[in-house]
Amino acid sequence: MPPSASTSAVSVENLTKVFKGHLGRKSFVAVRELSFTVAAGEVYGLIGPNGSGKSTTMKVVLGLLAADEGRTQIFGRDSTTVQSRQDVGFLPENPYFYKHLTGMETLLFYGRLCGLGGGRLRARAREMLALTGLEDAAERRVGGYSKGMLQRIGLAQALIHEPRLLVLDEPTAGVDPAGSRKIRDLIIEFKQRGITVLVTSHLLEQLQEVCDRVGIMSHGRMVREGRLDELIAVENQTEIVLEEASPELLARIRALVAAEGGGSRVLQMGNPRTTLERLFLKATDDTSSDAP
Amino acid sequence: MNGEATAPSPTRPPAASRFVAFSPSRVWTLATATVTQLVRMKILVFLLVFAAVVVAAGFVFPVMNPEQQLKLLKDVSFGALQIFAIVIAIVSTALLLPRDLEDRTLYTILSKPVPRVEYLIGKLLGVLLLIGGGLFVMDAVLSAVLWMRQNMVLDAAIHSLEHENKATPENIAAQTAAVAKQGLTWALHAGVLAIFLKAAVVSALALLISCFASTTLFTIVTTFCLAIVGHGQQMLREYFFHGFSAVGEKAASSALAIICPDLGVFDIVENIIKGAQPSGADLLHMTFMALLYVVGYVAVAHLVFVEKEL
Repeated sequence: MPPSASTSAVSVENLTKVFKGHLGRKSFVAVRELSFTVAAGEVYGLIGPNGSGKSTTMKVVLGLLAADEGRTQIFGRDSTTVQSRQDVGFLPENPYFYKHLTGMETLLFYGRLCGLGGGRLRARAREMLALTGLEDAAERRVGGYSKGMLQRIGLAQALIHEPRLLVLDEPTAGVDPAGSRKIRDLIIEFKQRGITVLVTSHLLEQLQEVCDRVGIMSHGRMVREGRLDELIAVENQTEIVLEEASPELLARIRALVAAEGGGSRVLQMGNPRTTLERLFLKATDDTSSDAP
Repeated sequence: MNGEATAPSPTRPPAASRFVAFSPSRVWTLATATVTQLVRMKILVFLLVFAAVVVAAGFVFPVMNPEQQLKLLKDVSFGALQIFAIVIAIVSTALLLPRDLEDRTLYTILSKPVPRVEYLIGKLLGVLLLIGGGLFVMDAVLSAVLWMRQNMVLDAAIHSLEHENKATPENIAAQTAAVAKQGLTWALHAGVLAIFLKAAVVSALALLISCFASTTLFTIVTTFCLAIVGHGQQMLREYFFHGFSAVGEKAASSALAIICPDLGVFDIVENIIKGAQPSGADLLHMTFMALLYVVGYVAVAHLVFVEKEL
């Protein structure tokens, strides 16, 4: 089927993936009758506990595993075709690259695999190193990179050929909060550029900040799916956040709600809390700005 | 991070028209990356060891007669060449695919528009480039040392004839011919070619085994075993298929040669060391057999690898 402008970036239809048992071991159904689509330009989060089938789904989408039933497509092209991977950039969980290559050589290698070359490729590689903050490490061998730097060179290689779809498997796994925040900021930037992102992460709060839609998987099945704001909204509750509210004002609000009756009641009132991540980032930012 | 980089354009046309089903350029990229990887793993330190061995073999045993000195130099050098080629062929090929899988580098490569057959060919080509380059350098070192040693031996022999008052033109010509036969000839390069072709077959076999093996050790041990059996195919045929009918013996021999490469085809080095000159037909036959094995093993490796669950 030829791709069209209205085609979904990713389409998964009734996907079932079974890992066959060998030498008397039982078969394992990793994904059962899974269906979802990712629209072009959106950030879609696939979440679930370990072993829920997220990574298997991603591998089938990328053509690294074959589906036992159902089919997956990327921009209207069957995932089993090599051609479908022209528009995809992939960052696997805990990626390692050829340790003997420098950061720049790594990007040139992946760029050449995508058919790029010459000055255009070099310029693009420098651009990606700048985007991921690795300019200073461009000539260092990847074997000496930290975990966070490996994730970022992974993102750079995923983007080297200007893909329209990014598939990120646990992009912040093992990365410190500052590095993790940088990756989150990059995902937001990709979204602003119109790049579709399919991402899995265990850091649900971060996914909440970047995803348009999420799918929750459990035991190989999709158990909830939809727009994030709709999924997490508690429909029969309303949140009001006040600044500099006096105790008298709060007391009057309580009294007003009580007088209203009809089942309305104040469930909670107090100071909203920041997250540990924000506290950490603020504290480490303050420390670094104090440093000579 | 710098957010000033130029944005990728999501509105650009799909890249379908740019896709090439088989790209020699992608294969070359994979091959050169493999060579760089192996070179930076300091695998070619072997070349320095080889140079030291050749120099030692050339100059350490001056008490032998001239022909023996040159033959010993060739014996030792070709032994080192064969070890280099076979060990690199098996070990480096066996390491490549499992390591890429273990490090997940394979995922990032195959999630690009790279057909699996190109990955396999690229890896194999990389190993062959490394072995070919290494053999070329070693051949050059051997040729240079042999040439020097040959001239030194000849000078010494003529000097000895003169000392014994036997330096007649006939004696000098005979001595020159005897030394030249054991000296540098084009047949030595043909011997190096035979070693390369044998290594290519063994590499392709290791690649095939690594496509379905679960460990690197299994690949290395199995390939070594098959390489040993491959060297003794003639003996196996004579021992096991002796009582078979002509058709049965041919069928059994063919089956054995398919399962395990007949590496005896490439064993011309021993005769070359003795001074024999292989014919052009011999070299063509060897090259054809090597191509047949390499293409066959890569084709089967692809059939296995394309179905492999990563």
